[in-house]
Amino acid sequence: MTVPEQRRSPDAALALRGLVKQFEAKVAVAGIDLDVPAGSFFGLLGPNGAGKTTTLSMAVGLLRPDLGQARILGYDVWADPIAAKSRIGVLPDGVRLFDRLTGTELLAYQGLLRGMDPTVVDRRSVELMDVLQLGAGNRTLVVDYSAGMKKKIGLACALLHAPRLLVLDEPFEAVDPVSAALIRGILQRYVTGGGTVVFSSHVMTVVERLCSHVAIMADGRIRVRGTLDEVRGDRSLEDVFVEVVGGRTATGSELSWL
Amino acid sequence: MAVSARYFVRLKLRLLANGLRGRTQRVTLFVIGAVMAAAAAVSGYALFSVIGVLGEQRAAEVVFPLTGSAIVLGWLFLPLIIFGVDESLDPARFALLPLRHVTLVRGLFAASLVGVPAIATFAATLGMVHAAATLGGFFAATVELVGLTGGILLCAALSRAVTSAFATALRSRRSRDLATVALAGSAALLGPLQLGLRSAIERADWQGIGHVVDVLAWTPLGAPYSMGLDVAAGRLWAVPIKIVVVGATIALLLWWWSGSLEKAMLGAKSGSRERAASQRTPVDQLVPRWLPRNRFGALAGREMRYWWRETRRRATLISFVAVALFLPVLVAVSGGPAGASGAVLVFVAALAAVSLTNQFGFEGSAYAANVVAGVPGRVELAARATGLSVYVLPPLLVISVVASVVPGRGAAAPALIGTVLAAYGVALAVAMPISVRAAYALPDSTSPFAMSSGGGTAKGLLSFAALIGATIATAPLQIGAWLLGDVWLWIGLPVGIAYGAGAFVLGLRIAAPMLDDRMPELLATVSAGSQ
Repeated sequence: MTVPEQRRSPDAALALRGLVKQFEAKVAVAGIDLDVPAGSFFGLLGPNGAGKTTTLSMAVGLLRPDLGQARILGYDVWADPIAAKSRIGVLPDGVRLFDRLTGTELLAYQGLLRGMDPTVVDRRSVELMDVLQLGAGNRTLVVDYSAGMKKKIGLACALLHAPRLLVLDEPFEAVDPVSAALIRGILQRYVTGGGTVVFSSHVMTVVERLCSHVAIMADGRIRVRGTLDEVRGDRSLEDVFVEVVGGRTATGSELSWL
Repeated sequence: MAVSARYFVRLKLRLLANGLRGRTQRVTLFVIGAVMAAAAAVSGYALFSVIGVLGEQRAAEVVFPLTGSAIVLGWLFLPLIIFGVDESLDPARFALLPLRHVTLVRGLFAASLVGVPAIATFAATLGMVHAAATLGGFFAATVELVGLTGGILLCAALSRAVTSAFATALRSRRSRDLATVALAGSAALLGPLQLGLRSAIERADWQGIGHVVDVLAWTPLGAPYSMGLDVAAGRLWAVPIKIVVVGATIALLLWWWSGSLEKAMLGAKSGSRERAASQRTPVDQLVPRWLPRNRFGALAGREMRYWWRETRRRATLISFVAVALFLPVLVAVSGGPAGASGAVLVFVAALAAVSLTNQFGFEGSAYAANVVAGVPGRVELAARATGLSVYVLPPLLVISVVASVVPGRGAAAPALIGTVLAAYGVALAVAMPISVRAAYALPDSTSPFAMSSGGGTAKGLLSFAALIGATIATAPLQIGAWLLGDVWLWIGLPVGIAYGAGAFVLGLRIAAPMLDDRMPELLATVSAGSQ
């Protein structure tokens, strides 16, 4: 099943080459090359509209790129989708879950959809519901969950089949501090165990605490990349981010009517 | 601080234009819909005006209220069953604006009049003005125009009020069953009317029809369309009374609508359901006992939950059951020819399968989970068909048996079941490729009948295409049944099952590779606008 020459860059868990995506008149992603080393905790940063979600969607096979390639653990996402997709767990942002199922039903659905053994699905689902404090006996439909609970059940869906690469789009958005700490702990243990995490965020403190590597995107391009220390230098990550993205700073004279 | 209704109309037009911009497929569907509506409008106009030109006062007095009533009833039932209502202006989005309730109702009502169906209906009925002018001169024409304007207002108010009330009812568990019964009941109410007409036509009893229509012309159904004729016939006194009848009905409907509108704005989300903790394992909770514990089982199990738990799908199911109960019973009771119940059941079976023509639109962006998991198209489509069949096959079988046994043709039941299964299989086969190639996003609205601008036309067109395709493709069986006579009673069931199953497999073979090829594109199409 494994063709040796398919695995060109075994060191990279995720390798993007020249990804381009254009929506009508707007270029969302203008040519991205990126290597995520295996075993790294990779933060993809950028302001709103920088193209983070578009990039990650193309990387995991949710959105077909106009140009370019995406490889997951050496498998081409668009040429060999089954092999690539079976090795990743994805938490998309701005996408609904099958929210008319209960949490446990949703996990069972995900597990069987991934071709897992039903007994394993049962065992892991109950454990995940318990660990993520969603309540193993909880029969509430996901549509009635709070925003934070939805993130947690989405994360549980991504973890269920124990993938070697996790791609998480804004995993900490709308999550309360207690749950965020829980999620951080789970992800850190996952990386320690040899997994790779790629996640997008614009919360600098979270990124500084977790990531070994970062890349900063703006206007559909990667502006800076490297290990956290390389990118940060002796400044704070936030200063670097604002400088790279080129934001506007308040002078105090605008919005005087407020 | 009254906000003019003009702003609502402009907002709706702007939403329509933006929705079409740069989307060739949608523009095409919209244009096809508009052309068909224009054709219907022109032929309607011609029909009505010819009656006037021929000087047939009595014919006009029968035809106008009759077709007028049909138009009003069409506006009542078609949105529920086939088209949905254009809810690009979702009332819930206005909840935070400082608008008075009256302003909102007036604005939304004005906006609901701006749309292809309303314009086409109005244009078609303008033929009645032409006829009234030839029959009774300028004044008659003016009065008829007033009547028609009332008529189109009545149609729009009726469809809004009913879909909105039904949607509100569907959201709460307590009144859900009540709503089901109400819909089935009101559909059944059409029965006696149609029966009377039918028997009158069979006996060529113009006198009898005349009496029915004379009564109809005084109800809100026929009154808007008969005013000008009253002038032409010298019954001037009837006009003010009819105007009051129509005006009061519109006012009543708007008042009803505004009530359920308020509920829709406040209760955008139903309260969370309390469910008892289950002792069963997660997989057992999702997958019914009789399904395999694998991908197919998971998909089919989820589909079965969705057909019942999601309002939009539940509304589709309920409307289907109402039609499925009503139509065959009507045919059986009215004692049509032997083939009639077969033809009606073919239609009903096809109607069931046609609810899959936008199967991927139902859950919108949630489909991403299946894309990420890389579900093979064949498994996906087969499981979805299974999920629907669990709900619609039992009623179809029961109705087939009842429709044969009640008129005393019990021996024909197996053959009829065969025909119905064949039609169902064929319609599934037609619906599957359509659902992959021509999916469209549904608005993220609280109403199960809501469609985005122009979506109703698309939905109706695709459903009609699937219906017609399925009916044509089942024609060989019907002809066979007719030619073979008694032999058909014996071989009808196996042949029908084989025909339906064969068609289904063929449809699956065509649609599955299409789906495998365009999963991301399909996801993008159905999740447009829902984020």
